[in-house]
Amino acid sequence: MSQVRLQQVTKSFGSVTVIPPLDLTIADKEFVVLVGPSGCGKTTTLRMIAGLEQATSGEIRIGDRDVTALRPGLRNCSMVFQNYALYPHMTVAENIGYGMKVRGTPKAEIDKAVTEAARILNLGAYLARKPSALSGGQRQRVAIGRAIVRQPDVFLFDEPLSNLDAKLRIEMRTEIKLLHRRLQTTVVYVTHDQVEAMTMADRVVVMNQGRIEQAADPITLYESPRNLFVAAFIGAPSMNFIEGSLDQGDGGPVFRGQDGVSVPIPAERVSALSPYAGQAVILGIRPEHTAPASGSDPSIKLKVTDIEPLGPHTLAIGKAGGAAFTAQMPANTRVGPDDSVDVQLDAQKMHFFLKSNGEALPR
Amino acid sequence: MSVRTLEGNARFWALAACLFWLAFTLFPLYWVVITSFKSPLGVVGGPTYIPFVDFEPTLTAWSELLSGQRGQFFSTFIASTIIGLSAAFLATAIGSMAAYALVRFTFEVRLLSAVIFVVIAFGGYLLCRHYLGVGQATSLIYAFIAALALSIISSRFKLPGPVLGNDDIVFWFVSQRMFPPIVAAFALYLMYTEMGKLGFKLVDTYWGLTFAYIAFSLPIVIWLMRDFFAALPIEVEEAAMVDNVPTWRIFFGIVLPMSKPGLIATFMITLAFVWNEFLFALFLTNSKWQTLPILVAGQNSQRGDEWWSISAAALVAIIPMVVMAGLLSRLMRSGLLLGAIK
Repeated sequence: MSQVRLQQVTKSFGSVTVIPPLDLTIADKEFVVLVGPSGCGKTTTLRMIAGLEQATSGEIRIGDRDVTALRPGLRNCSMVFQNYALYPHMTVAENIGYGMKVRGTPKAEIDKAVTEAARILNLGAYLARKPSALSGGQRQRVAIGRAIVRQPDVFLFDEPLSNLDAKLRIEMRTEIKLLHRRLQTTVVYVTHDQVEAMTMADRVVVMNQGRIEQAADPITLYESPRNLFVAAFIGAPSMNFIEGSLDQGDGGPVFRGQDGVSVPIPAERVSALSPYAGQAVILGIRPEHTAPASGSDPSIKLKVTDIEPLGPHTLAIGKAGGAAFTAQMPANTRVGPDDSVDVQLDAQKMHFFLKSNGEALPR
Repeated sequence: MSVRTLEGNARFWALAACLFWLAFTLFPLYWVVITSFKSPLGVVGGPTYIPFVDFEPTLTAWSELLSGQRGQFFSTFIASTIIGLSAAFLATAIGSMAAYALVRFTFEVRLLSAVIFVVIAFGGYLLCRHYLGVGQATSLIYAFIAALALSIISSRFKLPGPVLGNDDIVFWFVSQRMFPPIVAAFALYLMYTEMGKLGFKLVDTYWGLTFAYIAFSLPIVIWLMRDFFAALPIEVEEAAMVDNVPTWRIFFGIVLPMSKPGLIATFMITLAFVWNEFLFALFLTNSKWQTLPILVAGQNSQRGDEWWSISAAALVAIIPMVVMAGLLSRLMRSGLLLGAIK
């Protein structure tokens, strides 16, 4: 069992509190990604689990051990750093086996572990090389190899792919996922890249200003974000937001925004939304849930300022209801800057948030 | 911009200026070399420049120097070598540890503890010396131990007043090189003779001179090595910490190999300082552990300035340093950190 539990953990640097009391439980064998903008406390949280930062208060448990006061070496974690952090004067084999050598493991056993790690990571041909003779991806694999031979309770990854180029990053993403499936070890992975978070995680923890905004599996995050922050952070291109209010219209409740935006609320959501009538709310709709107007779904007028033809589809970027708005069009749509188009919103995929606190309204 | 990109006249003048500077710096060395091969008459009889043309070279100065007529050449050379190498090595080793601690750990020294140290050290010495009638060296030792113990104990309490951090400690180290060495040389000589009366002979011993050199090299070593260590990527050490590598092993197994160019440069600078040092050697030695600078100065005897033998002795003092620098500079290549981090 290598469950990780953070209970009421806080961290302050001097008088600055970077983590207000934080509770997080990571299940055994789970792949959890901490994601958020820079400065949100995700790396600090990871470093507190590793023991490289001391928690100011609260308790950290790995499995059934209380590790809060233990030094990093005794927590049985392995950590992979963004900048690889290899030992530059040692060969690949020495890098991977150094921890075991220090702990006095017999040489035959070290060799076996190193060979096995090298086989898993395709490093066999490079064992005698120094890190300076390796490419970025190979160096990061050496760092992962060093983590594997530790046979840790928990793997900690601190933005391990940020220094790799885009193509290699996608390859390594898959490799790390496969590795997790093979080793069946708990993983805590920190990234600022929401695509990386969504593609790799069993569960994504979205953090902001030291707090957990939402912790859920990727699809739940995408489909029912708990608040404006999560809605804006998850998904690319980002969700569109139009400010307005819930009013009573001629044919039932409607959302009214600036510039004559008027969106009728679908019948099945009326009962959930009616308590909020008259309040200021924000309508959220993802670009991929928009289309050129046709049929019965509500539509709004988009003043196009720019188009981005991406191949499979085209993004029309402009203003609607007084806010920046991106709509997704079929690739063959003929729109250009300064055009005005009617954009249809998928009524089932609309999100509503209270303007006062950003919380999502019930569906 | 480099000299290679210059064209025409500019290129010519740049080259001329460089050559002029080269000649300017090399000429004294050339002059010392040819002077060491001149006879006493050849030196005083007006300037001559080219051997075999202007004057007939002789080996008089060299044979006098090497045969020991001009002071114990071999024992001096050996003393200089032993003291130079060991003092530079020990100072680099001890200073690196101090510098590493100052880079990676946070120290908080309360100013009041430092004041307590100074007050007890001076007051205790005066007390022992004048009221308790204890000998000089003994009072010094008692006062120092009491001051150290009390200041360490007092630092455990939350005393009022400002708190000194790592930068203040480094400044304190470096500040020891700000006063003229002659101030310390006198005091050190007195202290050494007092210690000698207690039975610990320090004047004109290997340990006496080596201790003095280590103490006076440490500020520079700490200052230099602090910058080298601060430039190391901390993640490499953190990776080792997470891997349960003990701190001493991180230092010796990872940090020191990564800072090899810095260590060698620092060793070289310390060695040059110790090798060329004159004042302490003059005060703290008299025969057995005399060093080369004293020997060179000794050539300026009662018979006047004997430039031929001064030149030969000076060359003997210069050549080992040139050889050392040549050997070590090959190890000082940069790029050792390549591959550690992105």
